[in-house]
Amino acid sequence: MSESARKRPRTSPQNSEGPEGTGNTTLYTSLRQLAGIAPRPTTPFKRASSAGPTPGSRRTPNIVIRTPGTVAQTPRSGARPRQFPARRAAPTTPHAIRALRERANAARTPGAHRRRSGRIQRETPRDILRDLSRVLAPTTRPIKSSPQVQDSRRQSALDLPDVEDDPEPAAPRLSMPLDDMYDDNSFDEAPPRQSLLPEFLDDVDTETIHSLEFGRRALSEDPRMTFAARLSELGLGGEELEIDRTFINRRPTLNPDQILQDTIQEEVDDTTTEIRTLTGQREGRSSEVGLGVFGQTDEPDEPTFRFTIPQRIQAQAQNIAQDGAQFEDDTGQDVESNAAVNEEEEDAIAGFEQDGWESDPHVEDDEDLQAYREEVSAVDRSLQTHSPERPIPAEIRPRRQRKELHISRCGHEYPSFNPTVVKRLANSFAKAQGSKGKIGNDTLDALVKATDFFFEQIGEDLAVYAQHAGRKIIEESDVIALMRRQRKITSNNTIFSLAQKLLPRELLQELRMHPAPKLKGQKRKRMESIEEEAG
Amino acid sequence: MAQTLYPRGTVKKIVKAHTNRSLSKNVDVLIFLNYALFMQDIIKEASITSKAANERSISALSVRKVREGCLRKFAG
Repeated sequence: MSESARKRPRTSPQNSEGPEGTGNTTLYTSLRQLAGIAPRPTTPFKRASSAGPTPGSRRTPNIVIRTPGTVAQTPRSGARPRQFPARRAAPTTPHAIRALRERANAARTPGAHRRRSGRIQRETPRDILRDLSRVLAPTTRPIKSSPQVQDSRRQSALDLPDVEDDPEPAAPRLSMPLDDMYDDNSFDEAPPRQSLLPEFLDDVDTETIHSLEFGRRALSEDPRMTFAARLSELGLGGEELEIDRTFINRRPTLNPDQILQDTIQEEVDDTTTEIRTLTGQREGRSSEVGLGVFGQTDEPDEPTFRFTIPQRIQAQAQNIAQDGAQFEDDTGQDVESNAAVNEEEEDAIAGFEQDGWESDPHVEDDEDLQAYREEVSAVDRSLQTHSPERPIPAEIRPRRQRKELHISRCGHEYPSFNPTVVKRLANSFAKAQGSKGKIGNDTLDALVKATDFFFEQIGEDLAVYAQHAGRKIIEESDVIALMRRQRKITSNNTIFSLAQKLLPRELLQELRMHPAPKLKGQKRKRMESIEEEAG
Repeated sequence: MAQTLYPRGTVKKIVKAHTNRSLSKNVDVLIFLNYALFMQDIIKEASITSKAANERSISALSVRKVREGCLRKFAG
């Protein structure tokens, strides 16, 4: 009744149009218009029951229907007011209401097929609820519930969360070593040199110190190829070297001056100091070359490498110093020889790196150079400088190859689904959808990812289904159960109807050959059970 | 729609790797059928969203937007 009440005001504006018509025309015309107005509420009164939700649909059919209605009803205009209450009174019983609705619908929609489809889709509340559930259920439930519950429990728990919180910092622990590595680098850059200097004051060998000074001069003079190449690189950017060598310059300048003073002040025979001087700074090694006292073979290689890489030298120096501390009992020469051997190996490795690194940064700004050097040092320390560089790129290459093979949770490797198949499928569906645009590479990548996710999800689901059935083999029934749960298979949609739509004939035949008897058996069982229930 | 066969071996391998179980003979056909339904759904949704965004063709962004919802629809 509320609907009819709504429709009355709708008639009223039309009535307002009516008086305008009366102003222009005679009373007869006005009466006819009133008669035309009167049937209108009858038509929507029926329509409202069938097609309630859409207002736009009401208007257009109203217009169409009015004309025949008015034509037929104009002579009865006098009786209409009586008809209205009569019709309103009639639908009180449900049968009468339905009968009226069906009549009205039958009059409006000529095609039987249209009626059925429209009614079935619109009117059954189950379908509406299903659609709602499909739309709402997937988005809301799974995401919110799990994390919130866990958090609330942890927080609400008395002292247990504290215990649990402790392991959480454990995760940062993983990152800690990396930070430590960087920190160590930063510390190593500036402070250790400073620390070395006071140590030199305490324990200094005059010979080594002298050798350090001479070494510098000797390095510049040495004509050997490695030196020349590196010196040429350095010499090309002489200004850059000075600027770049902020680290380098500090080391030599601080060391030699203080060392000279130290030598004058004190003369001590400690292998450790020698080792430190040798390892800690390029000068020491260069000094060795100049003196020629130590192994002649060792001399040329050491200084060149150390000039190029300041930070690395520090790392090496620490390692060597440790070695030297162990060998303190031995003679200084022995320790030096050991250090020299280690240095040679490291330097040989370092030489490749440095050439590669320095050649690039020379073009760029000094800050970039420093940044590069810092990065190099960090990487080297993480890898422990002893490992040569060549194996590293070898490791990277296989990683790229591994990307093609994914590893599932179970630990099995599996290939990615063929993207061409994905593209073919997607194109066919897109055409069926009516979109003209082709599928680009980006969308294809996204689709391939989606397929990966899909197969992962479906695999897990199928595994659970098979396990529930107590089978170790995944069978057709599992997939059918899954699709039934997905609402892809319903009483109207069988597997075969779907397969006929989507699959080529060859696959259809294979489907029909084997699982068909099983399906029939299942269906019969279900039908029997239903019949039993019904009986 | 799909006029040619799909690589049955790879589908079997993929599902086998995820489930850690062996497959009966023709399960992969049904699985591929389900996958085809999934693709149909995802492309339908993606085309709708891309049209809503006034894009000519289906964009990767629209696919990514739709992907999760479609996966949820096909969860068992």
